[in-house]
Amino acid sequence: MIEAQGLSKVYGSTTAVDGVSFTVRPGVVTGFLGPNGAGKSTTMRMIMGLDRPTAGSVTVNGRPYARHRSPLTEVGALLEARAVHPGRSARSHLRALAATHGLPDRRVDEVVELTGLGSVARRRVGGFSLGMGQRLGIASALLGDPRTLILDEPVNGLDPEGVLWVRHLARRLAAEGRTVFLSSHLMSEVALTADHVIVIGRGRILADAPVRDVVAGASRRTVTVRTPGAAVLRTALERAGGAVAAPDGAHAGARDGALEVTGLEAAAIGDIALTAGVALHELTPVASTLEEAYLELTADAVEYRTDDRGDRLAAAGTTSTGEQP
Amino acid sequence: MSAAIAPTTAPDHGTTRTDAARVTFGRVLRSEWLKLWSLRSTWWSVALTVLLMAGLAVLMAGALGSAAESPDLQQTMDADPRLAAPSGAVAVTFGYGFAQLTVAVLAALSITGEHASGMIRATFAAVPRRLEVLAAKLLVVAATTVILAVAGLAAAWLATVSMLSADGLALDLSDGEQLRALGGTVAYLVAVAALSFGIGALWRSTAAAIATAVGVLLVLPLVFQVLAGSADWAQDVYAYLPTVAGERVVATGPTPDGLLAPGAGFAVLAGYTVAVLAAAAVAVRRRDA
Repeated sequence: MIEAQGLSKVYGSTTAVDGVSFTVRPGVVTGFLGPNGAGKSTTMRMIMGLDRPTAGSVTVNGRPYARHRSPLTEVGALLEARAVHPGRSARSHLRALAATHGLPDRRVDEVVELTGLGSVARRRVGGFSLGMGQRLGIASALLGDPRTLILDEPVNGLDPEGVLWVRHLARRLAAEGRTVFLSSHLMSEVALTADHVIVIGRGRILADAPVRDVVAGASRRTVTVRTPGAAVLRTALERAGGAVAAPDGAHAGARDGALEVTGLEAAAIGDIALTAGVALHELTPVASTLEEAYLELTADAVEYRTDDRGDRLAAAGTTSTGEQP
Repeated sequence: MSAAIAPTTAPDHGTTRTDAARVTFGRVLRSEWLKLWSLRSTWWSVALTVLLMAGLAVLMAGALGSAAESPDLQQTMDADPRLAAPSGAVAVTFGYGFAQLTVAVLAALSITGEHASGMIRATFAAVPRRLEVLAAKLLVVAATTVILAVAGLAAAWLATVSMLSADGLALDLSDGEQLRALGGTVAYLVAVAALSFGIGALWRSTAAAIATAVGVLLVLPLVFQVLAGSADWAQDVYAYLPTVAGERVVATGPTPDGLLAPGAGFAVLAGYTVAVLAAAAVAVRRRDA
């Protein structure tokens, strides 16, 4: 369980994290999603007691991280790949960390095997590939068999097999009742791995909801309609509750103008066109990708932050009202 | 030691596992020891320094032995207050000038290396009470320096014992001054290592820390030695420079004009070291990792 209350971090004139509050619960994988520079890593470092919050507070398993007497068994963290001295072997690195808690070498061997580092454990880390470095970071996080895991961009640099492995590992750890908090700048990755997602942009929380809700809200469907009678159809569609936009700056009344319609299914649009006596030259349902929806969500955090999230997701980028007659 | 640690059985999650696996200072110390000695650079820099201390002692023993027959060399040596009173200790301790560079670099690297690699975050995540980490690192650096210094002095003595005996300059441990010079070498190197470690903890960057340490240890004395020729105040400052003052504890013979007595000189160096370490402790506690 991770609980943040009004957490802020200001560097000089830059506000990296701006009063965020959230709760990460045990038993599920919680994704922490945001573009690079959104404040994900800073937030994670504050959770770990590495960076001092400018304001607010955060607790892990009920108390501030630094107050735990056995932090490695409470929280395992992968904060950056390769936070390891390059001249040390993987095994020496893990033994040094294990020694702080009196964990036996047996446990070091276990996490080495678990992360598939058996064949390279005695090699110096300086020669590791990005993927092996990432596995070593995850091995360090698992060392204390912690109740809470914080993984900052765990799939960075991993090959497809490694990505799949991290995904399964995260889900398994959550299924064991642990708290798993995993950051990524890839919505598709979070959608595949997490149950719950917290979206952050420009240091503020943009969304905090089950993944399926965010995905459903984010995957807005539009229908592209091409018709010689655009002006007539537009009026009819709007009367039926649809939102109509003319992309590419084309006038709605222009000949052969394309319209983008949201809020109505393609079949309904066809029926309305028939009733209105307007010919259709094209009727194409278009589903925006998760990635597009996420870009829209995070593109202008300031504009979106006060809106209701559901409406905001549905309405994002669909209207260009200045074009309306 | 563990008695000083508060009981960890928090009511919300009292498991025996958490109890057994908790952080104690002894464990942090062991972790830091493993860290330092799992780097190859530690092994070869210590070994190289011990060898060089022996080699430099042989050179000095040879010079002391032939000084009597060579008026030129005698003249040069008379000009250097450290050599005015030749004894076995002068030869055996001669390598400290080189050893101080090794221990300064080793000490600074023990903390800047973690900042350079990002390892410091893993370290502070495992041991959130940062002063424990700082203290453990310092103790490990100090212990390593003692090992290096004692091994270096022993190697130097072994390498020169027959030469010095032949010249009637055999190391005499019943001579309080020679004994003080030997112990002083160990103490001086530990103080220099601690000072450099503090600089490393403050600066965090390897390049900046080593540049500062070398500047303080070697460059400042040179600058003030030149200035002292023309200005009295520079001579006063010179005597109180960390290495100039500290080196007095390694020297034998009467205290030259304008320099501090051995004990006072070492106290000055220790003062600088404590001040820098205190500043480092405050900075390490406050800063973001």
